[in-house]
Amino acid sequence: MTADLTQLFELYYESLVRMLYRRTGDRDRAEDLAQETFARAVAAPPNNPRPWLFAVALNLVREDGRRAVRQGRRLELLRNDDRPPQGPEVDLERNERSAAVRSALATLGERDREALLLKAEGFNYEEIAATLGLSKGAVGTTLARARRRLVEAYRSEARGKHVAS
Amino acid sequence: MSHLDEGTLHALLDGELELSEVKEIQTHLGICAACDSRLQDVKQFLAEADRLVGALEAPVGSSRIRPGPAPRLDAPVVPRDPPPWESAPEILLPETVEKAPGRHAIRIFRWAAVILVVIGGGRLIQGALRPGKPRLELSARDLTRPTTPAVVSQQESGRPESAVTRQTRSAPAARTPLAKAAPERKAAADQPAPAAVAGLDELDTVGAAAKDSEVAPQDTQTLATGRADSGAEQTTEGQDLATRAAAAAALEELDRERLRSRANAATASLPPPRAELPAAAEPAAAPRTLEQRAQVYLRIGLDEAVTQLGRPVHVIEALSPEFIGLTPGRLVPGADPNRPVVRVVYLERGRMIMLDQQRLRTGQAPGAAAGSLRWTQGDVMLYLHGEPSADVLRNLQRRVR
Repeated sequence: MTADLTQLFELYYESLVRMLYRRTGDRDRAEDLAQETFARAVAAPPNNPRPWLFAVALNLVREDGRRAVRQGRRLELLRNDDRPPQGPEVDLERNERSAAVRSALATLGERDREALLLKAEGFNYEEIAATLGLSKGAVGTTLARARRRLVEAYRSEARGKHVAS
Repeated sequence: MSHLDEGTLHALLDGELELSEVKEIQTHLGICAACDSRLQDVKQFLAEADRLVGALEAPVGSSRIRPGPAPRLDAPVVPRDPPPWESAPEILLPETVEKAPGRHAIRIFRWAAVILVVIGGGRLIQGALRPGKPRLELSARDLTRPTTPAVVSQQESGRPESAVTRQTRSAPAARTPLAKAAPERKAAADQPAPAAVAGLDELDTVGAAAKDSEVAPQDTQTLATGRADSGAEQTTEGQDLATRAAAAAALEELDRERLRSRANAATASLPPPRAELPAAAEPAAAPRTLEQRAQVYLRIGLDEAVTQLGRPVHVIEALSPEFIGLTPGRLVPGADPNRPVVRVVYLERGRMIMLDQQRLRTGQAPGAAAGSLRWTQGDVMLYLHGEPSADVLRNLQRRVR
């Protein structure tokens, strides 16, 4: 059991944290949520671990998000994100781009966003369907919509910034 | 067939469709320009969306420290200019001249020369005052004989002849103001023994010459010569010769010391002698590209890979391939050597993992064995190999989809 969990951890922890970071934009939260996910895996070992781990993690994100809204935490996070980035020019560009992508990602529906992030982690359609509770046939449509909206939102934001500057 | 919806096109590009569906779609795309155009759009959206999501990389290290303007350790430290009232006034001190290492030795030689001259002069005076003692006669041969070595080296002076010889011949013309002033100073002094006075005066002159020698060696020579000449006017020629010899010896030592100092100064700035270098290191080999490492002669896209295999490409679950390429069949055991093999290349923690796939033809037997990393799935032969150990590869084999 312990060996299995160790193997699971080695296999999926990094990917899980990456997905959670992309989802939340907060590395600490991502790590905390990933650890909470694995703690739940210890309590109830999954049969199909990968979709299970990511599904639990995404549920935790949603719960955490709701709690954060209640506590006004999200506003604080947004305010922090809006702080003018400082430092070298490269960091500035990267931060601006990350913020723009995150902003574009926030315009997507919950399911679209999650499908996109799972795909970025190498999930196939069957796994995405299993994780999100969709039919396999709906995954292509979901991803198509998510990708198009993400790109359009990002382009729109870039245009807006260009006009504003 | 009706037009293709966007979801189907995405599924096609994601390699999620069955072979029969792919063939049907490819047939349709061949005849439907609208769908083909949409496929190009979808490709662009897919690539850009992947790029955007990929840009959301987690910062290195923990974000408990905000990814803000962390001070760079390698950044140059710019000192803050303190207000003028905070800084202490600058004390102006005379520039200290570092003593040359040879200065002390020069001083010792100078004193040695002085002592020699005093002793020599005293003995000569004693001999001259002693009754019955014949006066020391000096012949012209004695004057021209090179009894003293050159004070200034020929290389330095650039003059080929001996310094003493030159001095002897050109002494009257070489008088300097200092040499001319010496007789007046001697006359003003009230001393009982003129010869001794002359000897002391000579010492003074030699000392002055030694002091000036660091600045102008030629002038030193002239000074010494001129002074010796003026002394010869007042004392015997023997005294003059002895004095000159002593002065020349002292100056020669000075000259050597100066050359040593120059040599030391010239070599001080040189790097220390290098130890014997080991055999020349071989030039670093140019870093090999991933394609070279993977022995892939052509990088292909997913569509081409699907076309090659006639069905969706097999991948390792939870791993993102670096690229897909073609490798010669002769390099893959069990593969048809006359046809290329589709190679999906992964890079996991710097170690390369390759999943080879080739569609089997009728009668082709790859010779896969149970438990082997080469097996068949449908009509495709798969071969998993790479840099990780066989155990790791077997674990990965279970995740091939």
